[in-house]
Amino acid sequence: MRLLITNHLANAYESLRANRLRTGLTVLGVTIGIASITVVLSLSAGATKIIGDQVAQAGGAIAVVRPGSPDHDTQVNNITATLAGAQPTSSLTQQDVSDIGNIPGVSAVAPLMLIGGNVTTGSTTPNDAEILATTPSLTDIVSLPMSDGQFIDSVTNKDTAVIGTQLAVNLYGTDQAIGRTFHTHGMTFTVIGVLKLTNTPVNYNNVDFDHAAIIGIDSGKAFNQGVASIQQIDLRASNDSKLASVVDQVNKKLSSNHQGEKDYVVLSGDALAHPANELFYTVAATLTTIAGISLLVGGIGIMNIMLVGVSERTREIGIRKSLGASNTHITWQFLIESLAMSLGGGLTGYVIGYLVAFGVARTFLTFDPVFNWTIAGLSFGISLLVGLIFGLYPAVRAARKDPIEALRQYH
Amino acid sequence: METDELTPPVIALSGLTKRYGLGDAEHTVLDGLDLTIDKGEFIAIMGPSGCGKTTLLNILGLLDRGDDGDYELDGRNVETMTSAGRARIRSNQIGLVFQNFNLVSRLNVIENVALPLTYQGKHKTKRLQEASKMLGTFHLSEREYYMPWQLSGGQTQRVAIARALVNNPSIVLADEPTGNLDSRSSHVIMEELADIHRRGNTIIMVTHNPDLTSYASRVIHMVDGRIDSDTKAPRPKKGELAPKKPLGTKRKPAKKPRKTKARKS
Ligand SMILES: Nc1ncnc2c1ncn2[C@@H]1O[C@H](COP(=O)(O)OP(=O)(O)O)[C@@H](O)[C@H]1O
Ligand SMILES: [Mg+2]
Repeated sequence: MRLLITNHLANAYESLRANRLRTGLTVLGVTIGIASITVVLSLSAGATKIIGDQVAQAGGAIAVVRPGSPDHDTQVNNITATLAGAQPTSSLTQQDVSDIGNIPGVSAVAPLMLIGGNVTTGSTTPNDAEILATTPSLTDIVSLPMSDGQFIDSVTNKDTAVIGTQLAVNLYGTDQAIGRTFHTHGMTFTVIGVLKLTNTPVNYNNVDFDHAAIIGIDSGKAFNQGVASIQQIDLRASNDSKLASVVDQVNKKLSSNHQGEKDYVVLSGDALAHPANELFYTVAATLTTIAGISLLVGGIGIMNIMLVGVSERTREIGIRKSLGASNTHITWQFLIESLAMSLGGGLTGYVIGYLVAFGVARTFLTFDPVFNWTIAGLSFGISLLVGLIFGLYPAVRAARKDPIEALRQYH
Repeated sequence: METDELTPPVIALSGLTKRYGLGDAEHTVLDGLDLTIDKGEFIAIMGPSGCGKTTLLNILGLLDRGDDGDYELDGRNVETMTSAGRARIRSNQIGLVFQNFNLVSRLNVIENVALPLTYQGKHKTKRLQEASKMLGTFHLSEREYYMPWQLSGGQTQRVAIARALVNNPSIVLADEPTGNLDSRSSHVIMEELADIHRRGNTIIMVTHNPDLTSYASRVIHMVDGRIDSDTKAPRPKKGELAPKKPLGTKRKPAKKPRKTKARKS
């Protein structure tokens, strides 16, 4: 049996080579499908890695609480689910924040409230500014070094703000922005500090600090009818080893605060590192859909071309059977041909996927796609499965042909 | 009884019937054939076109099945065999030469001849070696890498025969193996079959050429799906297994053209 595999491979190679164009077109669907999957997974892994590195750099003992149900904690769900934080009202309250702060082992806690709307100097209105309302303790959790001035603190005025370097440049044409003012939601803020360039648009806070205007949580509430709509609570445990028990206690505390309703998730470690950016989800979901459709179309293409191949070679099947080929031999002959197609398409897609991921990353992103065996294995496995599922029926059909009927076929 | 049990006939047909078509269109192609063939027989089947010779060979070669009656191969009823079992017999025991050659058009000559060895699980180098040797026997060494459509009719036929003989079958079923050949080439082929026969194998050959029946140990005439006459060449029973004398005399016409060939080249 094993001896025949090489024979079938040589056979498949010959037959696919003889119909190069047909083979190439057939395989395209699988190629596109696997390429899309590779792009999604390698970039997702890249984002996960960069966030993981950030957390590790920040001391590691960090957890976040986000509103929403916790049922998308697997990677695949993470890719397809919509972002929990995207819902307009949040289940998290300031009470939750202060209760978490009181848990022993929690060294710092900060709410993050993202506010929609524009930031303007009156004449200049950058379109990619983000307004973040938070508390001074954010700097105890997230590393936010200042290039100039100071961060908001308990004694600074309600109408002061800290802005990112890029926002400063966009607003005022310079990063020397201390003392300058901007307007948002009918209020005027004075810049008291400028952040150093972080260059980490992808992070677990989903805030691009380079484009952010950071204001106090009370100002944020004022824009939202006095309600703090908290998209995320960041917390730091006093040390790494305490993180697990802290997360435990946070869960308990929130459970009692929310009357047992699981409308929040506490994420730490790997789960925290998974990208939760809305744009990322949209792109990933789109690519995953494309991948699914391409693989289905590619699989059907393979099945179709294999059925054509079987009927074209009916006479050959008859001859082979008359010379001693068993049904198993014939099944393998055709199955290996469809597997060669799907695996070839998959391999091409895998390579193209990485090239595209690199192109995208180098052009638009601040991190590189990640190579790992999981992605290679998944691409291989999916290709194999497509070849098997869509190649089996034609192969069995070929093998079931009656030898004498097959020999009577003329071409 | 005892000897019967020790060596059952290679082929035993009883009441073998094959019909085609349904209802009014139904016609009987093989009409209750009874036939026993022993190991080591060389049988020539003759008869008018359409009398069912090819159909009979296809059934004997386990490619087709009768509608009625029994076919026992080496004492085993073929109806009880699995399709894998039938394939194994085709692979190891039977060599088939088709009336219309049936070479695989996308494989070259040597690949075609090596094909039966593939299904015996032989390594590629071994396969090609044996196929090449077999092609040499039929003076086709220079055509090994030709494609089937580049061959003349006679060459195609010789390739088909080489392919049938390459796996050393104990039963050779040949459907007009010399149909397209001149008398010299015919005798080359017949010599090869006679040689296989001499080694104790069974040959069943369909032919229209009465000259060639001189190689056979038994001649069967068919008419309309029935056996019209069945004559064994008169020869001592021992001679069948070691037929030096009778075959020696019969081989005379074969040797003659061979000598002419030798003189020519
Ligand atoms: N598949 C088929 N369907 C219907 N009739 C067939 C088929 N194959 C053979 N026949 C008929 O069976 C008869 C015997 O054919 P065949 O065995 O090829 O004859 P021979 O080889 O003796 O010339 C012919 O009349 C032929 O028309
Ligand atoms: Mg015929």
